Amino acid sequence: MKRTLYVLLLAIIYWYVAGFSLLLFHSPGVVYQSNEEAPKPAKEAGGVFISGTSAGDAETLNWILAADSASFGYVGHTVDSLVTYDNEWRVQLRTAAKDVEVSEDGLVYTVTIRDDLRWSDGSKVTAEDYVYTLRNLMFSSWLNYPYQGDWQEEVGGKTVFVTPGVVNETTFNITRQTVDPEFIYTVRNLIPYPKYIAVKYEGDVKAFTQAPEFNNLTYTGNLGPYKFKEWVRNDKFVVERNPDYYLGKDNGAPYFEQYIIKLFGTSATAHAALEARDITYTGIDPDKVSKFKKMAGINVYTVPTTGYLLLAYNQRGNGWEGLKIKEVRQALSLAISKELIIEQVLYGFGDPAFSFIPKVSPWYLDKDMTKYGVKPLLDKGKAKELLLNAGYAVKTADGSIEVRSKGGKPLTLTLVTNAGNDERENVGYLVKEELGAIGINVELKFVPWATLLGKYLKNKVPDTDQEPGYNNGVGAVSEEPWDLMVMGFSTNPLSPSGQDVFYATKGGLNFPGFSNPQVDELFKRIKSAEALDEKAQKDLYAELSQLVSEEQPVDFLAFQLANVGFQKKVKGIEPGINMGYNYHLWYFE
Amino acid sequence: MTKKGIKRIAGKFGGIKNLILILLAALWLLTLLVDTLVAGRIFTPLGYLYLALGIVFLIYVAWPLYTSRRLVGYYWQRVKVNRLAVVGLVFILFLILLALIGPLFTPDPTAANFEEKNTPPVGLSIEESIYNAETGQFVTKVVNGTWGHPLGTDNKGRDLLAMIISGAGVSLQVGLLATGIAVALGTFIGVASAYLGGKVDNILMRFTDIMMTFPFFLLLVFIVFIFGPSLAFIVLVIGLTGWTGVARLIRSETLSLRTREFISAAKALGASDGRIILAHLIPNVVSLIVVIATLSIPGVILAEAALSFIGLGDPAVTSWGMVLRAGQQSLDTTWWVAVAPGVMLFFTVLAFNFVGDGLRDAFDPRSSV
Amino acid sequence: MGKAWLRDYIIRRLFYAVIIAWGILTITFILVRVGPTSPADKYLANLAARGEEPAQVIAAIEARYGLDKPIHEQYFSYIGNLVRGDWGWSFSTSMPVVKLIETHWIYSFQLILFSTILAALIGILIGMYSAVRQYSKTDYIATFFSFIGISIPNFWLGVMLILLFSVKLGLFKTYYDTGIPLLSLANLKQLILPVITLSTGMMAGYTRYTRSAMLDNLRKDFVRTARAKGLPERVVIGKHVFRNAVLPLVTIIMFDLGSIVFGGAYLTEIVFGIPGLGRISFNAIFADDYAVVVAVTLISAFLILLINLATDIAYAYLDPRIRYD
Repeated sequence: MKRTLYVLLLAIIYWYVAGFSLLLFHSPGVVYQSNEEAPKPAKEAGGVFISGTSAGDAETLNWILAADSASFGYVGHTVDSLVTYDNEWRVQLRTAAKDVEVSEDGLVYTVTIRDDLRWSDGSKVTAEDYVYTLRNLMFSSWLNYPYQGDWQEEVGGKTVFVTPGVVNETTFNITRQTVDPEFIYTVRNLIPYPKYIAVKYEGDVKAFTQAPEFNNLTYTGNLGPYKFKEWVRNDKFVVERNPDYYLGKDNGAPYFEQYIIKLFGTSATAHAALEARDITYTGIDPDKVSKFKKMAGINVYTVPTTGYLLLAYNQRGNGWEGLKIKEVRQALSLAISKELIIEQVLYGFGDPAFSFIPKVSPWYLDKDMTKYGVKPLLDKGKAKELLLNAGYAVKTADGSIEVRSKGGKPLTLTLVTNAGNDERENVGYLVKEELGAIGINVELKFVPWATLLGKYLKNKVPDTDQEPGYNNGVGAVSEEPWDLMVMGFSTNPLSPSGQDVFYATKGGLNFPGFSNPQVDELFKRIKSAEALDEKAQKDLYAELSQLVSEEQPVDFLAFQLANVGFQKKVKGIEPGINMGYNYHLWYFE
Repeated sequence: MTKKGIKRIAGKFGGIKNLILILLAALWLLTLLVDTLVAGRIFTPLGYLYLALGIVFLIYVAWPLYTSRRLVGYYWQRVKVNRLAVVGLVFILFLILLALIGPLFTPDPTAANFEEKNTPPVGLSIEESIYNAETGQFVTKVVNGTWGHPLGTDNKGRDLLAMIISGAGVSLQVGLLATGIAVALGTFIGVASAYLGGKVDNILMRFTDIMMTFPFFLLLVFIVFIFGPSLAFIVLVIGLTGWTGVARLIRSETLSLRTREFISAAKALGASDGRIILAHLIPNVVSLIVVIATLSIPGVILAEAALSFIGLGDPAVTSWGMVLRAGQQSLDTTWWVAVAPGVMLFFTVLAFNFVGDGLRDAFDPRSSV
Repeated sequence: MGKAWLRDYIIRRLFYAVIIAWGILTITFILVRVGPTSPADKYLANLAARGEEPAQVIAAIEARYGLDKPIHEQYFSYIGNLVRGDWGWSFSTSMPVVKLIETHWIYSFQLILFSTILAALIGILIGMYSAVRQYSKTDYIATFFSFIGISIPNFWLGVMLILLFSVKLGLFKTYYDTGIPLLSLANLKQLILPVITLSTGMMAGYTRYTRSAMLDNLRKDFVRTARAKGLPERVVIGKHVFRNAVLPLVTIIMFDLGSIVFGGAYLTEIVFGIPGLGRISFNAIFADDYAVVVAVTLISAFLILLINLATDIAYAYLDPRIRYD
């Protein structure tokens, strides 16, 4: 009896002391603005989650050198960014203690990070690490960070970097001289390099590239749900559960012992692996979805994506001159049925697109958009009329309209796309069919990707020795003539203004040569102080969408829907555009 | 141009046969030059390869066969006895006929018709589901095979029978041409190298080494970028990468042959090197050549399929390789697309093999046919 | 035996091998560097999605890897490093080239080794039987199967095997697991399907060549002599006839073994998810990763040259009538 009382007393003292010390160290200054539900009860961690993919392998874990998205994806399992977003674009705090604050004038961004972040050697992750990563690494000329453009601004005709500065141990700010309302999205994605390791390699790009700490992610500490274990090139990327994960303090997340990304050579073998339950998750091709939906142990979710298919109109000198006329482009778009393409090519997994802003973007506004390609603006008769008005058709004796080129001969257009991409080839066939129905003969040309880039996208002013580029100005033309091109682009849903690379006159990827001063103006305004007000920005985007849907720089065809298959035993999934945001809370049942 | 005058000129070149060969070769070269410089399109690149091989075949195979008709008759009798060889021959002739006449009765193999995609062969049916994004439900319908597409269609709605027939022509051409190049070159170099020995052997074999190690794939990527994809490049690359193996095989066989008594006997009788090579050595390696050729044909067709797989193929041409590639993604659903060319390939290979066996047996003086 | 000339021959061949390999190296280097693809091409989609200016990104990447220097400068610095043992850094996989090849060659090698052994063993046996019983039912069946082998494309057969044995029957895993130690029974088990896929294609060659060579020799006089001597048929066939038929087979076996680096097993590797040299070298070509491409081409060139030399030496030993001089 005495023993029991004694133990009970000790227990009470222990809990009291523990609770007290927790109170002491739990600084009240840190505010968690998380929209997450109350942390789940601590679960037993277990199981290996295997994610199958048939897209390529990453290039490097030294993310500051990477330009491909897979590399950032891999690293993202071991280091969190400042914030992330849920499926409704609500900010979910990660390494940031509170959301990034923007000053009234839009020129100063203040970031406060959590104070419980640690590198692998136990030292604190501080604002100094972030500022060092920005100033000494990302902005440096010896390292050549590919995405420097994200952190630059035009001041007085010159391109300069924004200015980061440390405020205190957990706070730093970034000062701009010009306003960019969408800069906040870039800031929110920041992940740091450890200064105490990086200084060893500073200035020596070769040493930095080959640095073992960065190539083996040995520094990541408690910054991510997983720790790097091994990477067999072209085979698999393995991370194991990080028991110190800062977000897992209360709930013991993550709940998988290991997370593996397994690479497959073809999607067919990835599907077979899911069917045999050898992997936990993979993407499913549109024509296999119904088969997988019927499987007992598999859940298939259909989620929106930000990728869209389009038909580009060549408005440069070596394309059909009719394409330079807005009404002609509209006529073509009137004739091509988007729903037909979605049904036949995407097996129904698509959303008709009328501008480059996807439905899932917070800036999407439907009003007043001109919706070519779906009823009532799907009218082959009307298309022929428009062509007649533009001078590209003649009226025959019996009153019907025959489409002709200016010389009176039947009209033949060349459609190019990259060979080997089934989706794009199929779109090409359908466009040929649709335009054939209004009397335009379309010649299909499928070329290898390298040829497409080199001879159809890249352009230069003829008879000069200019270096070919993707947009060498108004007078530039591509080496090979073309009229139509099936392409696929992708929009950043939070900052669709990035699409100005395609649709602004000086856009670096504006290979079709579209130019409209109003569109340029709107893009500029969206990137200016005017758009700091959320409502104003929404209106500006709405105006841009309307304009673009009417101007038809390209025929926007469809935003694709993706299908992902999971084994039924995975719980905690919230299907949506950002469904990975809470993956550290998924578990096996 | 009197007969005597021609004979005199011919004598300078070593015989009428050589004169005609040189004349034809010059004509071929001239046409090629004109075509490239003036950029007219008299013949396609594939056509030129055909012509070149045709000239070689004419001079070195058809002509000798014609001049020794009696001998040909004798060999034909021996081949006829082998029933399988005759069956094989008939099948090959049937394929050629199919390739020539078939396209007249079948729809355009490149005509995509999305409404009719993924139809199974006649007598089978499959379910097709289209997703409706609004409702989140699938609309399923049953697709039955019809006689309009007896072998079914692929995922773009192209008629499989038409593709197979068109593919027969293309694959036969590719197979024969590439194999022809590889075997002709390889035999010539292999025999010459082994027989002439010494320095010639050294030089020829080092040349073969260089060709074996040459990065042809890189070259193909390069060429495809500059000139665009074309079946002729594929044929050339496959043929040029293939001949080295043939050369080494033939050389090994010839090496052991050249020390035999019948060769030294012929030499003692005063036969020239050329005659020994052509009249004695080559006939004895014929069986090996025949095996190599029969095995190469499917290999070539599959190599062409692999290249199309990577994206270096000629998209304008429907070959069995292309159909295989189109079908490989959906083997578990629309399996007929990949099975049809596979089956055709199998029978073609079998046919060539039986014919080859028959030929080899006919030529072998020791076999009692 | 008097094979003194063989030693000189070998030395001469090795000397040529070095020269040829160096020539191939140079040609490959040039082809990759002046080729149409640039390392930055593959980022285009990503750049576009982020709204980046491609010219800037491309310039940054090329500057970092020294790809903007004039080509002869790059060439000489590459050669200079090569002779010092530094094969360069693969920027498409962020690994030293040596380590990359070191880690992955074994996967291709074990696949091709087992496939060649299996194909050769079974192929030769079937070929021999087929020759001895020419035109019998067994001959036809054997011919039938060997030709199915080469008419079925690798990727087709591989996927079918996976669908049948791994998915439907659950006997094997659907992909190759590199976590399993190489020298274990489990590894052999997971190699079964890939080896079957690869060897069926190779088998036909062995069957047909053996049959043909055996047939050639079966009718020769020395066979009649041997039989007349009263030797058992097994010895006649197995020892005398086969010995004479073996030369071309040696060529094929060596050639097949050397195809590790050709990427000959590339399609099988893709289907089964085996991270071998075939996939590595193909990905490197399309990623414009010249260090890897040149290294692999160089190794494969050397390998081919050495194998050719070994084959020639084998000939000299197997057939005493052969001399090279």
